[in-house]
Amino acid sequence: MKIREDLVLRHVGDDHIIVDPGQDMVDMSKVFTLNDSAAWLWEQLAGQEFTRETMVNLLIERHDLPYKQAEEDINKLVEVLEENGLLDKLANAG
Amino acid sequence: MVNHIQQDTIPQKATYKVAGLYLELVFPAILKRAEILPSFEPFFIEYDVTEKSICSIELTFQAPLTQNDGGKLLSDLSVVWGENFRFYEGEDYYTTTIWNEFDDGLWKMKSSKDFSHSVIYLVNNGFSINNALSWLVMVAFGQACLLHHTILIHASVIAKSGEGYAFLGKSGTGKSTHSRLWLDHIQGAQLLNDDNPAVRLENDGQVYIYGTPWSGKTSCYKNIKVRLQAFVRLKQSSYNHLAEQRGTAAFVCLLPSCTAIRWNNRLFTAMSNTVEAILHRVIITELGCLPNRDAALLCYHEILKIDKQTVQNSGYQEVTGAN
Repeated sequence: MKIREDLVLRHVGDDHIIVDPGQDMVDMSKVFTLNDSAAWLWEQLAGQEFTRETMVNLLIERHDLPYKQAEEDINKLVEVLEENGLLDKLANAG
Repeated sequence: MVNHIQQDTIPQKATYKVAGLYLELVFPAILKRAEILPSFEPFFIEYDVTEKSICSIELTFQAPLTQNDGGKLLSDLSVVWGENFRFYEGEDYYTTTIWNEFDDGLWKMKSSKDFSHSVIYLVNNGFSINNALSWLVMVAFGQACLLHHTILIHASVIAKSGEGYAFLGKSGTGKSTHSRLWLDHIQGAQLLNDDNPAVRLENDGQVYIYGTPWSGKTSCYKNIKVRLQAFVRLKQSSYNHLAEQRGTAAFVCLLPSCTAIRWNNRLFTAMSNTVEAILHRVIITELGCLPNRDAALLCYHEILKIDKQTVQNSGYQEVTGAN
């Protein structure tokens, strides 16, 4: 999978945010907030193809988590990214 | 006679400086500059400018080459023009059209994707030429300036002691009313602009707010800049209270008042970059208020308190940093 290339991770004060400008006639622009771990992962993964495996390993490396827990966290994160259309739909499903 | 015709066909050029950026207009000689865009006169530059203009606009009486070349319809609603507005995206350009009830004319502007070049097809009819024309020029300049750390915002602005206070809010929230309260009750307060000022992040790292040729229904076209002290988003409330906004809340407070088209990622990203930089340099607040004297006084004094804290905090960091 791949993160949409038109999105920029921003740091405002203590928060990490993504702004997704709505492309429909009615303005449905959205602002997402990421926690520190998700923001860090986003920065590692931006601009490249990756798999869940890559994400799990990155998370373990950073937080020294048991594999099972890291996998659960990543599955949740990927679900949120997919649901909100933040992944590149044209990229290969990984 | 022949000479006369030739003179009329040679287009004239006028250069304006808005928010420190050059705007160039080329128009048929038959038109008088001060008559077609009177609110631009304070921004007119007499001397020759060597610096490149960021936005050049050609006015012509010629009809557009083709009629149905608009492209994909992106929007059909504007705050100012209601349903008389259309915005289209073609392969290499955007088309903006407005139907003006007063002259029964369909105004049309074709712009390059970065809005650095536009052509406005004039409605061949003298009435209210500045109304539609001034607005179209604002659309072009408002997008072109985004690539130069500058944003046109929807706000009413007060200047007081060399600092700017920008009041934000949806139409009808009372931005202009709140400015009036400052003028009436705070000594030395002056109106800088009542509708569309420009905010610019400059090379000295400071954020400035500028008067522009666009000020809504109020004739207030000041070619002046002041350092921007605070943004204040107004909300009607049963009592007066001011809260500072930080992080995501500050970003969300500011974004809806900025005028970038959502459909152009390059321009939208440039605007968001500027907003992000501004957030760390300007006080952002939300004011729940009544339309009364106390609202203006509370707003002013609370912002001064925040400013004092900010100055003290940064001073502390500098001292500890040196150790």
